[in-house]
Amino acid sequence: MSSPYRQMILELGDVGFSYSRQDAFVTKLSFSVGEGEFIGLLGANGSGKSTILKLCCGILKPSAGFLNLWDKPFSAYHNKDRAKLISYLPQTLDMNVPFTVKELVSMGLYPYDILPEMTADEALGLVGLSDKADSHITELSGGEKRRTFIAMTLLQGAGLILLDEPLANLDIRYQIELVRLLRRLRDERNISVVMALHDINIALRFEKVMLIKNGKVFGMGSPAEALTEGAIKETFGIGVKIMRQPDGKAYITYEENDNG
Amino acid sequence: MTPRLMIMTLIFFLAVGLSLFIGPTNINPFSLDETSREILFAIRAPRVVVAVLMGMALGASGAVLQGILRNPLADPYILGISSGASLTAALGIISGISFLGTFTIPVLAFAGAIATGSLVGMLGWQRRGLWPERLLLAGVGLSFLCSALLMLLMSVSRDEGLRRATLWIFGDLSMSEWPRIPYGMAFVFGGMIIAGLRARALNALMLGDEFAHSLGFTPHRERVLLFVAVGLMTAASVSLGGMIGFIGLLVPHMARFFVGSDSRFLMPASALGGGALLCVADLIGRSILPPMELPSGVITAIIGAPYFLFLLRRKNVLSV
Repeated sequence: MSSPYRQMILELGDVGFSYSRQDAFVTKLSFSVGEGEFIGLLGANGSGKSTILKLCCGILKPSAGFLNLWDKPFSAYHNKDRAKLISYLPQTLDMNVPFTVKELVSMGLYPYDILPEMTADEALGLVGLSDKADSHITELSGGEKRRTFIAMTLLQGAGLILLDEPLANLDIRYQIELVRLLRRLRDERNISVVMALHDINIALRFEKVMLIKNGKVFGMGSPAEALTEGAIKETFGIGVKIMRQPDGKAYITYEENDNG
Repeated sequence: MTPRLMIMTLIFFLAVGLSLFIGPTNINPFSLDETSREILFAIRAPRVVVAVLMGMALGASGAVLQGILRNPLADPYILGISSGASLTAALGIISGISFLGTFTIPVLAFAGAIATGSLVGMLGWQRRGLWPERLLLAGVGLSFLCSALLMLLMSVSRDEGLRRATLWIFGDLSMSEWPRIPYGMAFVFGGMIIAGLRARALNALMLGDEFAHSLGFTPHRERVLLFVAVGLMTAASVSLGGMIGFIGLLVPHMARFFVGSDSRFLMPASALGGGALLCVADLIGRSILPPMELPSGVITAIIGAPYFLFLLRRKNVLSV
């Protein structure tokens, strides 16, 4: 599963985790993220995508196995140093925080004593919110609020960005623009991105996807390798057809009366 | 310093100046005779310093608590700290013990505040963390318990100290004297320094624990530090002059209107606003019907409530 030509920036080995004493939610989870990789994390509701992202950024502590960040154990990093390397955008955002757009985005600089290259204005420009800098968060639409939080995550300037369903609440234009923006940042700055998402059609455009089922990696690889009709049926429990456009690009469709 | 914070600083010094020189006897600072010097330094100055310290402590504590509890109705008294202090102070006053002379009641109040605060902290602690909802419920529950015990104590007491205890509980600045001030000041400023150093963490906590973690903070540790800061400031304030209502709730909302919700500015603005409001309230309380003194807590509520209701009409102000 590793990518031999890239530097490993995150590596999980035989990681286990449980929310209660009785049932293990994640067992023997192993995968790695290489520098510059752009990975889509797919799975049914409750399959463990959010748990895996929270394990990756240290919000949840593994009960077994190891987790390395840039070849050093996660615990070797001071909180502030870790925050410069890895940033996380949670799935549930408090959309009614009392800050202005610029105040919120500027919090991305909190881990730094010496300011990094990007400014809050640039981060706002990247997500198309330059004209809303002084607006109050509560005055924005749902999609604009989400883009504000995304701008903060970008400003944090970490080499690895973990995003838990960042495309929720965004219209189709901003969904596509956000994926393009992250890909561009990856190309320009060599950052790595791991994004949980539900839209398989968008995931089909990713370079690498990881299918999650019951807290385990069910399949990982290019969309052509991992997102097969059989694998989708196995992980989501629904039958789909993978079609091809004339230019060869894949998309999925489903039968109206498909009984699975 | 932002221009708006500078304006608040000027208002603060203006309020302090007015409180020092205006009152039942007006004092001309440029021609002090023996009597006016005596009034200024022995009576009025300690009273103004206590009002400033209490107002600052309550304003800053309110701003911190509304942030960590993510609740616009939170104030320093909601955690039961003041009820615990009142209970131990009333016990001391009614039983007539005086093992530390004039320090007895403040020390008892401080001990009661710290004991209640620690108990609230312990009850709010679960799974290696301090949880805002548990803190709030523990505080409200203990506050009711302490208030009920206080009422019981006062209803069965025939002691002459009862009136003094009642006055103290409703905030009495007339007993302010210099010897107590350095101790109160140490705890108020100690709490403010801790809270001020954690202002960024408080901002991050307002976004939720997961964001706070992602930005490099340890949410539970930050909450404990901020809770300790609030505990110290509130305990010091109650032991200096009893309970003054409304400042901890109202002033952070007023300050938010001026400087926004960024805790790095909101905390100092709330401290300055709290100090200024209590100085003015005390000035009005002792000047309006001399020689009778109206309790400062009543005046802060009469000034503050209409302004609070005015703010309620404005968008985005009454949030944290």
